Amino acid sequence: MTKLLVDTDKYGDESPSPVVAAFHATMHEIVRRRLEESGADWKDFVLSEANTLITKEDFESVDKALVDAGHRYDWSAGISQKERPDAYKPAEGTSDADLETFCFKHPEAPVAEPDGDGRELRGVGDNVVRYNENTTGTARYIRSTDRVLKWLNEGVPENTIAVIDDSGGTLTAPILEQFKGVICAGGTVRSHLGILTREYGIPCVMNAKVNGIMEGDTVTIESTARAKTAEDYQGQTKREVTANVWRTARRD
Amino acid sequence: MKLDYAQLLESNNLLQINGDETYWLCVTRTVQESKLFPVPAYMLMSYLNAFYRYPALLRKIEEHMSAEEVGDRARHMGAKANAIAMWGLPCFYLLGREWMINMGLLRPQDAAEDVAYILDFWKRFELSFRRNAGHMTAFEGGHRGQIHSEAQLQVFHADLYDCKAGDPLHQAAQAFVASASQYAFLIACESRISLHNHGPYNLGEDRQMIVRDFNDIAEYDFPWLDDVAESVPYNNLTVTMATQGVNFNIMDDWGSFESDPEFKDENIVGVGLYTSGPLTDGFEPVGMDSREELTQTFLDLNGKVKDAMSRLWQKMAGWSRDQMLDAGALTYYAIFKDMAHIAGCYDPEDWIKIDQRAERFRPLLNDEYSRDALGEICVGTGPSHQLNKYMMMMHNDAPTRIYSPIPYSILVDGDYAPTVGGVEPGITYLDEKKDAYRTTEGTLSIDEYNARVRSFQPELHKPENRLFCETTVKYCYDTPEADALYKLYQKHSRNLADKGAGLQRDDVEALRQKNNRG
Repeated sequence: MTKLLVDTDKYGDESPSPVVAAFHATMHEIVRRRLEESGADWKDFVLSEANTLITKEDFESVDKALVDAGHRYDWSAGISQKERPDAYKPAEGTSDADLETFCFKHPEAPVAEPDGDGRELRGVGDNVVRYNENTTGTARYIRSTDRVLKWLNEGVPENTIAVIDDSGGTLTAPILEQFKGVICAGGTVRSHLGILTREYGIPCVMNAKVNGIMEGDTVTIESTARAKTAEDYQGQTKREVTANVWRTARRD
Repeated sequence: MKLDYAQLLESNNLLQINGDETYWLCVTRTVQESKLFPVPAYMLMSYLNAFYRYPALLRKIEEHMSAEEVGDRARHMGAKANAIAMWGLPCFYLLGREWMINMGLLRPQDAAEDVAYILDFWKRFELSFRRNAGHMTAFEGGHRGQIHSEAQLQVFHADLYDCKAGDPLHQAAQAFVASASQYAFLIACESRISLHNHGPYNLGEDRQMIVRDFNDIAEYDFPWLDDVAESVPYNNLTVTMATQGVNFNIMDDWGSFESDPEFKDENIVGVGLYTSGPLTDGFEPVGMDSREELTQTFLDLNGKVKDAMSRLWQKMAGWSRDQMLDAGALTYYAIFKDMAHIAGCYDPEDWIKIDQRAERFRPLLNDEYSRDALGEICVGTGPSHQLNKYMMMMHNDAPTRIYSPIPYSILVDGDYAPTVGGVEPGITYLDEKKDAYRTTEGTLSIDEYNARVRSFQPELHKPENRLFCETTVKYCYDTPEADALYKLYQKHSRNLADKGAGLQRDDVEALRQKNNRG
């Protein structure tokens, strides 16, 4: 069998990701096969003949092999799942109907019974900017372009605290300014969404570990909490810096 | 490019410098994700396009202008030939290379001449672009991005308008900066490539100045802004911001910053606004003749970018995945394409197409594989990154490195393929770019734009000015030559016109205060 350089790597083993490992193993097979077919030395093959002998169809076969074996990809961009629903895991919590029952359920979210003020702890997050007051509003999930488009045309309902798992700044770009607050289940205070909420002066917690907040619940973000810094993230301050997220009333 | 031992030693050092910074940026600056765009997929595609095309495109630029001259020119404008762009130049190329090594499609010695040339180009650009600070990278400079000379900084400083939270100028500036930042993220398909910060610059009395550039915000290189951003009158805008009571202790090569205490809007105590580009001789003020004019300019621009953002979002939300992937990949890949504009050799076929060699890989780029493969090559967990167990990486003590060095054994056995060669035909799923480019001299065709750039000789870049550096100023500030140089920078300045080279920072502040009082 033709050997590739990667076959004699003294220190590297296979990729830690099963999908990457599977793809690359198949890729190695294809490269070996095409090199043998060419009959060329590697250095004459790699940046010339390989460009035409290794084809788009070869790469399609890598993808097809894994999907045919039953693997369904994680999706991050809604368009990916929408265009290839058979190749990706199902999309949940993206339609209005889904949101009747959907909620984020982070396994590490601290939860507690209501306190004396009726505040029921439903999780924590990293506060982006410290404000003088906590922020209370109505939780509304945003996980699809359909909802953004609807609110772009109709206006964001008043008092909305957006509950998002996308730490980027593009999904909600045309309506972000209208949010009263943001609870983001991903990223850090330095993610694009964190940067933009800071610019707009919108209270926001990032990297939120929340559980059980339903569409329409009244929630309060502890935006008076200390903002999380780079030193905090790197463990240099030896302090736990989180902001609480409470539910103060269930939806009707 | 001749490869000898000294050359390879330097190449591998440069490669390691960029790798160490890349790891730090990726780990501390957080992941980039989006429910709208397939971000990891487009990033991987951009790296392949970089691998196949950067060598030829950099050589093409140098047929018109050397890397170090481009660097000197770039320092005098807020364009995409800045710190983040130049971090991306070696990084995207080398990440593409590393990924291909892990796929078994390349060995560390293949394309050795390309690798050495790209790193050499990068070095020469960075050394000239950053010559006032003397560093190769912000990382090397303790996370400071101090680019400008005293002459430029005095103008920015002198022409700042005072403002404070709640006043009309502060509100208008803050609203514009927020909207333009969000618009910039959208233009750049979730990446931060269309906005950049540098500085801080010390204004004294607990004040610092940071400079924010917004790039590619009008109809220019990106086809997705055709017929969307036609009302945005400037392609590059630079906002100067004086802040009080915060110390920007990190300003990295991605333009992201950290401060102590945390920076808030209320810390902004002064603002200014400029435009620039390959056809300007330095920065030109925008709406800076009076406080009222500047306030109204920010308000007008805010309305224009918000309208363009809304239209752009609706356009993008209707795209196919291939279109989203192309737009993101081309945004990334073309991160330093303004160097081609500066050199007067920009061709949309070079910069706004996916090379057919890279296009082959598209079927691999599902969300999950892309996420995992990207993570591996950026933080060094793939097989190619692993070293012997005695080694300890700079940031995490793991026996890894981000990029594979060029092996020195090629100097003995000669067993390597030297180069990927020239640019091959490209494709795109996006609409073809309209032949209309918003420049500081109006909307031009690309041929006209290139021709004007090639015939333009900025005064600041005549040898007697270009080489009259900060050290020369230090000892020769009282010469006619120094005075003439400073007056070039000051020619559009409201408060410093014709003041010459003799002022110190405190003199500038006194002039500024006097004129701000009217």
